[in-house]
Amino acid sequence: MRGFGAFLGKELRETVHTWRIWVLPAFILFAALSSPLITFLMPTLVDRLGGMPQGFAISVPEPTALAAYVEYLGNLGELVMFALVIAYGGIVSSEVRSGTAALALAKPLSRGAFVLAKWLSQLLVVAVAAVVATAACIALTAVLLGAGPAAQAVAAVALWSVYAIVILSAMVLLSAVLSAPAAAAGAGIGVYASFAILAQFEATSRITPAGLMPAAQAVLNGEPTHWQAPVATSIAVSAACLAAAVWRFARREI
Amino acid sequence: MRLIAASVSIGSPLVVALLAALALVELGLLAWALLDLARRPADRVAGGSRLLWLLLCLFVQLIGPVIYLAVGRVPAAPRALPRPQAPGGGGHVARAAAALYDAAGPPGGAEGTGPAVELVDVRKVFRTAAALDGLSLRVPEGSVFGFLGPNGAGKTTTLRILAGLARPTSGEAHVLGHDVAGAGGDVRALIGFLPDVPAFYKWMTAPQYLRFAGSLFGLRGDVLDVRVAALLDLAGLVRVGMRIGGFSRGMKQRLGVAQALVNAPRLLLLDEPTSALDPIGRREVLDMVAALRGRTTVFFSTHILADVERVCDTVAIIDHGRVAAHAPIDELRLRRGGLNRLAVEVDEPQRLVAALEGAAWLRAVEVAEDGGLRLATDDLEAAQRELPALIARLGLALRRLESDELSLEDVFVDLVQGEHR
Repeated sequence: MRGFGAFLGKELRETVHTWRIWVLPAFILFAALSSPLITFLMPTLVDRLGGMPQGFAISVPEPTALAAYVEYLGNLGELVMFALVIAYGGIVSSEVRSGTAALALAKPLSRGAFVLAKWLSQLLVVAVAAVVATAACIALTAVLLGAGPAAQAVAAVALWSVYAIVILSAMVLLSAVLSAPAAAAGAGIGVYASFAILAQFEATSRITPAGLMPAAQAVLNGEPTHWQAPVATSIAVSAACLAAAVWRFARREI
Repeated sequence: MRLIAASVSIGSPLVVALLAALALVELGLLAWALLDLARRPADRVAGGSRLLWLLLCLFVQLIGPVIYLAVGRVPAAPRALPRPQAPGGGGHVARAAAALYDAAGPPGGAEGTGPAVELVDVRKVFRTAAALDGLSLRVPEGSVFGFLGPNGAGKTTTLRILAGLARPTSGEAHVLGHDVAGAGGDVRALIGFLPDVPAFYKWMTAPQYLRFAGSLFGLRGDVLDVRVAALLDLAGLVRVGMRIGGFSRGMKQRLGVAQALVNAPRLLLLDEPTSALDPIGRREVLDMVAALRGRTTVFFSTHILADVERVCDTVAIIDHGRVAAHAPIDELRLRRGGLNRLAVEVDEPQRLVAALEGAAWLRAVEVAEDGGLRLATDDLEAAQRELPALIARLGLALRRLESDELSLEDVFVDLVQGEHR
């Protein structure tokens, strides 16, 4: 792990200095602020629609803080996950393609440090963005819709964060294996779709990372759920993805 | 506010938590400021008085350390290094490069007794094409080694293997006694590498990149400050504040050379280092390479023959992934030439050509477009003795008589075309 600290520092500075800072945190923050706002405005918007044929009526549930949190979690699980997959398609390979990796890796920076520093820096970006966005969501929800189950929302976002770590780790592996960022992003969407399908089955949902989003929804609604097994397998899958990414990248010619 | 004030008392958990956080921040700042103050040389503390800053940090709680950290620290100025006369060249860049090594002290890493580079029967196959086909090479430590070859000969592939960026399909590659494939970071800590087209992080400035490069070698603090300042000076980028994204190709090449020297490497691998430089930049890089002779080993790949003739002691010419020739330049000329050449200019060349017929020492004669004669001889001494006497006997006016050395270009073309025949 030679050079890990120095390269991690570079990655974090790069996050701040380049477009990367705006993409994912912006998506997460957008989800956080738009969810309570849309929930709050929905009845008014539906009212203003008008012009419905006689006999038709749209029933809009009373806007609540819980509804805003459910909307936020839904956005995190879909919109933000897609952004994450596309943004990290080139997380490893883009430096190899641009040639910057050759200069860094000809120095005593280990291939493992190169891969893991990239993973950790983006994990920090996602984690900080999730904390800030969730705080903003809770605050805006409190202002617009009154106090809600904030602790449950935080727990649900924590479970989503574990899911984000799995997807991020999978993207690191795909980007270490595939040279083209678009190919890695395409494969990443395949991984995401597979989890979505596995989540539909009770057996796989209970023990695999696919069960994290259903568990997060249950936690948010205050329902009993078994989140431990999905979290444990998520950690194992993430570790396996990272180990495979390091192994593959160590054998790759730059 | 009244509501909050009514519900919060001094002993409440919220107030305790806030006080604890404040205390942590304050202690952290104090520790940071004191540690920095202890490690910082006095000449890099504003006002020059450490005691004053120590008292301020200790007695003006919270604000004192903040003031010190904000304005009390003087960044390292580009410090002038001693400028000894470089043995291989007198230019500024050459002196800067030599001074860099002198300031860095004896080379790090285990002192090798063997060659700096040793390649044994190295093959590198890409799908079905062999880029290297049994390449064997030994480069003595401390030499300036020219690695010549036409495009596609395998020069860049060889350098990538030596830099640890590619692996040979078969054969062995050793650098400073280490097996490149097995030693990993240990061997890369001893080398500096400049690829043919260096790519940098466009958002960084030159000092930021050099700091980053140095930190990958574990350099920090004053050593890194001084090294970065010296390398910026060497690269002519001291007053360049723009991001690397705005650099010209020549500026990038100069920065590339600088980053390759950041660890004062024992082996400097340069892939076409002069290819993007203007004549002045090219001369400076060649002076720098010459100045490094004896301080480090330079492995210098190029197809510019004049560059090799100017700075290298030994040269290898490769073609189709194999060594076509490998020897000191003079020996190579002699070995490949076999014959010595003489250039002669007289007022009536045709009379001299007729008179030369049957001369025992003459192997060939050729009349150039300018009317001058090119003579090839296997007995230079006899030619130098008899030719002036013959010209005098004929009553010709001698305008020029000089040894016309076989150039490296002649050897290169001869070898490469010979391989293709």
